[in-house]
Formats: sequence, structure tokens, C-alpha cells
Amino acid sequence: MSILEAAGLQKIYSSRFGGSRVEALRSVTFSVEEGEYVAIMGESGSGKTTLLNILAALDRPTGGCVLLDGRDLSTVKESQAAAFRRSNLGFVFQEFNLLDTFSLEDNIYLPLVLAGKSHREMQGLLMPIAARLGIVEILKKYPYEVSGGQKQRAAVARAMITSPRLILADEPTGALDSRSTDELLRLFTEVNRLGQTILMVTHSVKAASSAGRVLFIRDGEVFHQLYRGIDTDEQFYQKISDTLTLLATGGGKQ
Amino acid sequence: MSLGFYPKLAMDGIRKNRRMYVPYLLTCAGMAAMFYILEFLCGSPAMQSLPGAVSLGIMLRLGTGVIAVFACIFLFYTNSFLMRRRKKEFGLYNILGMSKRNLARVLFWETLISAALSLIVGLAAGVAFSKLAELVLVRLALGDAGYSLSVSPASLVFTAAVFGAIFLLILLNSLRQVHFSGALALLQSEQAGERPPKGNALLGLAGLALLGGAYYIAVSIEDPLSALTWFFLAVLMVIVATYIIMISGSVVFCRFLQSRRSYYYKPNHFVSTASMRFRMKRNGAGLASICVLATMVLVMLSSTTSLYFGTESALLERYPRGINVTARPREGTGADVLRAETAAQVRGKILEIAESLGAEPANILDYRAATVYAQFDGGDIVTFSEENSVSFTAGCVVVFTALDDYNAMTGESETLGPDEALAYMSRGGSVPAELRINGERTLRVKREAADFAKDGDSAASIIPTMTVVVADLDGFVESFPLFRSYVGVWSWHYGFDTGLGAAGDRELFSALVSSLREDAEAVGISVSTSCRSINRADLYALYGGFLFLGITLSVVFVFAAVLIIYYKQISEGYEDEKRFGIMRKVGMTKREIRRSINSQLLTVFFLPLALAVCHLAFAFPMIKKLLMLFNLTNSGIFLATTGISLAVFAVFYTLVYKITSNAYYNIVSGAKRE
Repeated sequence: MSILEAAGLQKIYSSRFGGSRVEALRSVTFSVEEGEYVAIMGESGSGKTTLLNILAALDRPTGGCVLLDGRDLSTVKESQAAAFRRSNLGFVFQEFNLLDTFSLEDNIYLPLVLAGKSHREMQGLLMPIAARLGIVEILKKYPYEVSGGQKQRAAVARAMITSPRLILADEPTGALDSRSTDELLRLFTEVNRLGQTILMVTHSVKAASSAGRVLFIRDGEVFHQLYRGIDTDEQFYQKISDTLTLLATGGGKQ
Repeated sequence: MSLGFYPKLAMDGIRKNRRMYVPYLLTCAGMAAMFYILEFLCGSPAMQSLPGAVSLGIMLRLGTGVIAVFACIFLFYTNSFLMRRRKKEFGLYNILGMSKRNLARVLFWETLISAALSLIVGLAAGVAFSKLAELVLVRLALGDAGYSLSVSPASLVFTAAVFGAIFLLILLNSLRQVHFSGALALLQSEQAGERPPKGNALLGLAGLALLGGAYYIAVSIEDPLSALTWFFLAVLMVIVATYIIMISGSVVFCRFLQSRRSYYYKPNHFVSTASMRFRMKRNGAGLASICVLATMVLVMLSSTTSLYFGTESALLERYPRGINVTARPREGTGADVLRAETAAQVRGKILEIAESLGAEPANILDYRAATVYAQFDGGDIVTFSEENSVSFTAGCVVVFTALDDYNAMTGESETLGPDEALAYMSRGGSVPAELRINGERTLRVKREAADFAKDGDSAASIIPTMTVVVADLDGFVESFPLFRSYVGVWSWHYGFDTGLGAAGDRELFSALVSSLREDAEAVGISVSTSCRSINRADLYALYGGFLFLGITLSVVFVFAAVLIIYYKQISEGYEDEKRFGIMRKVGMTKREIRRSINSQLLTVFFLPLALAVCHLAFAFPMIKKLLMLFNLTNSGIFLATTGISLAVFAVFYTLVYKITSNAYYNIVSGAKRE
């Protein structure tokens, strides 16, 4: 069963007095199955971030609809959107977006505290995740005291702690060195193997090659998609790379 | 590059940072206006014509000094906010190829433009309001002033010079900052200093101890004189303690809250507690400054208004009768005793003059006294001599008077044995059962005397006065060779109300002054005369001046406090914008964000006010004692003015809170972009 369905998504930004119109998304249609690990690729300005914001209910499409577990996101009221995000979605961002006023532990607790969970309950949820992500030792530290890779692992822990239906990752490797990138991607693969659905937006071929399926977006439309099938990471990397070259050199439209 | 390039760039910089610059320029202008007004009043003819113009002038001069020093410190402080935001821009210019020398030129023009703008506005406002200020001052001092507006060019030049110098210092400081930092450091300066603080528990405790010590001093001081000496120490301790507690103590407190899991991990405490802890240390100094300024304003307003509105009661205290005459044996005549007959001679003369002017003496005060300065401890009175010097704070004035005078004035018919006495302690002190004088003689205190001899001297005296009534005053003093040779100052006090009104009182006073001296000298005494009406004018001029200065400085300090709050909110808003964006993405609803902002703002805002009120409460007894030095013993007035000042300040503060917290909301919620 599809966990996420996007049908004919359109987003047009117009200036206040309706002067110039910019079409960020023309018509995006795709679906994500339960337990899938999907990467969305595209160049800067192709509409990736707009798409992610709409999927996260942070923004509303001008046309089309998004169904999460069969529920239309446009029926979620503005006032309930935050609570909806909290309980159904986990976020991982390029710049980590950890709050510098909190220790890593408290950063991870944030969505749970907002949901009104008790401290004992939160601790019970945190420990297995922290152990799996290898951040038990540094939970009491503050974001400025740890490395980028460690920050990103804490952010992943924050995204996972509510057991969300879907994890949305926005360029998660963008600010990491190659070693941390490898670690994070291995982590994503592992988490995905345990049944977690992940949707990642990236323009790193390396990051995309760890996914099970890659969608390519160009000019506000899904231009192409690749399935991993039985490919190894290296083979899949090559395929993605070729597709991108084709895209860049202006291969014909579908 | 054309000639106008740098000024244009500087103008642009100011315009683009309106939100930061406008309040800064307004404050500069406000301070300059205040400075000019006080400077103008120092030389104003209307002020010069007031009684006590000299002391008033000194006071106003002091006020200008305070404003100049304060303006310098404060403008430096606010300029640091501006520089922090501007540095990024300078870093960009630097990278784009402007040299440090070019940047210096931009800075120069920027400072020149802000100086010119604020001085023009400030001086214009100063000239416009100087007449109003003059009228207020003169009216407060019960004097007369015309309504013609005048401008003092000398004051204008002086104000411009002082503020020009301050701006020059600010420019030099900015140049130093730009000169010593590289392009990248400039570019990133706004992100610098984001480390969460580690509260120092020891320092926090030290602050609490210091505050406790200051409070203890304030409430335990008994007599006004030690209040005066300890007051400044206590003020200093409170200021230092406020800074330490705000900077370190509050972090420790927040950490304590964080350690209480059941409190901390609640949606409405979680975010606010953590960000408060993060913020306190960096903004602790700002909060402490707000607190100190608020306390100063409250203390100044309440004490000066109570002095002013207590002038009448102070006047009655200091000059109980319309006309007061005090006579003492003339030095060098050899006669150190003032006999009843001598007093009667002078009294006759006074009454003759009074009646010739149509006065009907009433409410008559008439008694002789022998006064000694002594150490007073329990019941032991040890008179002052070369061998035993009296410490000033433990000293006491002992006034011996005759039973006859006492009975005549109180209408009682008390009788006393040779070893008996009545006694009264000024300012509600308790009277011992026995008085042992120099270990030689013991008087049994029959009962507490009525406070009959309430004259100006004891009211003005800063050390306590004990009045002792004995049966035979002359005999009592005669029997005391030691006592006599030591101090024993004889005096005769005579006072009455004339029923003539203020003008008649003045007339009688001049008549007495001119004609009494010769007669008095003929009988070997010297006479001093005072008139309440004349002193009323002096006192109103003095206390009016105090009140005026109190209000002026309060306005300046309130200005400063408001600006600190404003800059704090704005700069925090810019910092928090990103933080609240993250929280929204993680799943915080707008309502939760709003609630958490509210609880944070409320605490941060009203913490300084609460501490200021606490300071004020503990300072109250001490200030009450200090006001006694100014003859204000009516503490009801002080209580009332304190309450009113507090209420007015609180209303004003809440208003500022509303305005700045709105500005903050708009920044963090990104309303300006939508």
C-alpha cells in the first residue's frame, strides 16, 4: 500500500499584485510505498525544496493533492498541521537544525516533550535509538561541542524518536565530510532495512545511490526514475550519474 | 569616485538599519536636549533670582555632570549593538575591495551624520523645552518667571562641544574595532559568541551574600548619621550584587529548574527554561542595568517628591514658631551663665517691638537650657572632654531645662525632688529609668516628659537629643563644677506665632534683627533670629531644585532603560528567528511558540522590575532615616510617594513591554515578510 501519494502537484508563486508568476512545480506525480527508501534528485531551482515543503505540510500546493496514509494533507487545518507533522513525519536537514540552547538529549526529546510525554517514557524511547546511532556517550553535550557527523546523527535520532510514518531528509549529507556521509548513508540503509520509510531530497549522486529508487525532477516535473533492482551501490551510482549527464546535456523530454 | 560617494554610502547604511539607528539617534538627541536644558537653567536669570540660587546652581551643575558621564557610557553601549550589525556590511565592503581606509571614511561620515542629526534635533528640542523646564523649576521653587523665550548661545556651544567629544570617542572606538578585525571576522561577527554559559554557583552565592549584606545594612541602621555614611556602601554593594546575581545566579537557578525533570520536560517550560539559561549570562548585564536604573529612578522619584511635598511639615519641624529667637552668652564676656533675669530683659524688648508692629504673640515657646554633648549608653551620660572624646555616631545632645519653664509651657503642675528628673528622647528613643552623669550624680527619671521644647535645633540635629527637666536648673548646674567647666552651653529659646501673615512676619523679623542686637549685647548675650516665612522660600527653592533634578535624571534613566530593553528585544528577535523556524519544522504549533515566547518575555521583563521593587523595599528604612536629615519625619508622605512612583513606573514599563514584545513577535514570526 502507498504510504505517500502526490498527484499532479502544482505550485505557482506570484508576486503580491499578481504581476510576475513563477512556476516552481508544474505537475508532480509519484507515490512512495511503505518501507521504501526514495531519493529525489534535481538541479538547483528544479523545485526540490518546494516539493519537500509541500510534502511536509509547511506549504500548500496551488494544485493537486498529497495523501499521507490515504489522508489528504489539504484537509489538515493550519492549527493542526504542526501536531500532524510531529506525530507523522520526521525531519533531517542539511544544516542539522539542532537548537543551540539545548543539549543533544534535549534536542532529541523536543518533539516528545511537545507531545506531552513523561520523562520516563521519553528515556525508554531514546536509549535504543541512541545506542543504534552510537551517540549514547555524547547525549549530554551541546551541539557546538560535537562534530558535524555527530550532530547529524542526533538530528536523525530526533527524526526517528516519534516512530514517524515517513522520514523526510533535505540534503542530509550536504554539510558532512565524506566519512560522515558514508556513515549517515549506511545508517539510513540500516534504518530502512528495519522498515522505516525514507524520502530524501539530494543532489549528491553518492547519497542517491544508497536509495532503492531515484526520482529525477526537471522544470517542475518528474522527468525520470530509476530502480536499484539488484544493482550494487557502485553500479547504481553509475546509472544515476549517466542519467544526470543525459539530463544536463539536454536529452529529449519524455 | 565622486565626492558624494562616502556620505551617500553612510546615509544608506543609516537608512537600511533604521530599526537600530532611529532609537539610537533619538536617545542621543534626548540626552543632548536634557544637557542643554540643565546647562541653560544654570545661567538663566529667572533661576538666579530664586532664593538659594547658589546651591541650586551647584545642584544643576552636578546634574549636567551626571548626564554627560551617563550619556558617554550609555551611547557607547548602544553603539556596540549598532556596530555588531554593521560589521557584516563592512566585512562585505572589505571583501569587495574597500580598504580599511575607505571603511574609516564611511564610518567617519556615518558618525558625522548621526552627530549632526542628533545634535540638531536635540538642541532644537532643548531650546523648545528649556522655557517649560524653567517655568517648572521656578514654579516648584515658588518663584516668578516671565514667559519670554530666550536662548543661551554659550550653552548651545557647550552642549555641542560635549556631545561632539562623545561622538569623537565613539568614532575612535569603532575605527579601532574595524581596524583590528579581518574581513572574515567582520563578516561573521554576528554569529560570534554563541556559546551557552556555564553558571558559576560560587559566584551566584557570593552575589546573594553581598545582596543580603547590603539589605542587612539597610534595615539595621538605627540613626540617620550612620545611614548617610553607610548608604553609599550599601548602594555599591547592591549594584555589584545585582550584576552578579543576574549574570551568574540566574543561570544557576535555571540549571536547577532544568535538573527537576518533572518541571523541565513540560511543553510550556521546556523551551523557555533552556533559552533563558542560554540567554541570561549574555543578557544578564542588560537585565541588571535595567534593574539598577529602575531602582535609581524609583528611589530618586520617591525621595525627591516626598521631600518636596513634605516641605511644609519639615518647615514646621525645623521652625516650630513663626518667629524664633535663640540667645546665648556672648563669648569673651566671661559670663557663661544665662540667667532668667537676662532672658526677661530681652523678652521685654522683643515683645515691645512685636507689639509696635501689631503682632499678637501666641503659641509661645520660652525656656532656658543648659546643653552638653555626651556619650550616652544605657543610663550613663559621660560628658565630652579632652580626655574622653565622643564618637560622633554614639553621641547625644543632652539638654537640661527648668521645671518652671516646663510647667509653664505644658500647663502641667509637676513637682520634682532634687534627685528627680523628667526626660524625653528625640525621635521616639526610649528613656532610661536612671541617669548617671559622669559617675558623679544620679537622677531618677520620674516619668517621660512631654515633648515641649521642640525647637529647630533638635530637629536639625542629626544626632539624638535628650531633654532632661530638673527642679532647679541654675542650682543643678552650679553643683556640678566638672560639668560646668567642660561644656555647659547655656541658651534661651523664645518663639511665637505673630498672627501677621508672611509679610508681617518678614517685617517683624527685619525689625528684630536690626534692633535686638545692641540691646542683647548690652546684657552680654548674642541673639540669633529666624523667621519661618523667609526660610520657607529657601526650603522650597532647595527642595524644588531637588525635585526638578530628580525628575530630569529619572527621565534620562528611563530613556536609557527603555532603550536597553528595546535593543535587547530586537537583537534577540533576530537571533531567535531561526530558532523558532526550526521549532516550527519539528512540530511546534504557532500557539505553542507564542506561549513560550510570552512566558520567556514576561520573566525576562519583570525579573528586573521585581528585583528593583525588592531593592526599594529594603532601601525604604534607610532612605527614611536619610530624609530625617532633611527634617522629613513624616514617613507617611514617603510611603505614599514611593507607592505612586512605583505605580507610575510599572504602568510605563508595561507599556514599553507591549511595544517591544510586539516588535519581537514580528521579527521571530517573520510577519514582516508575509
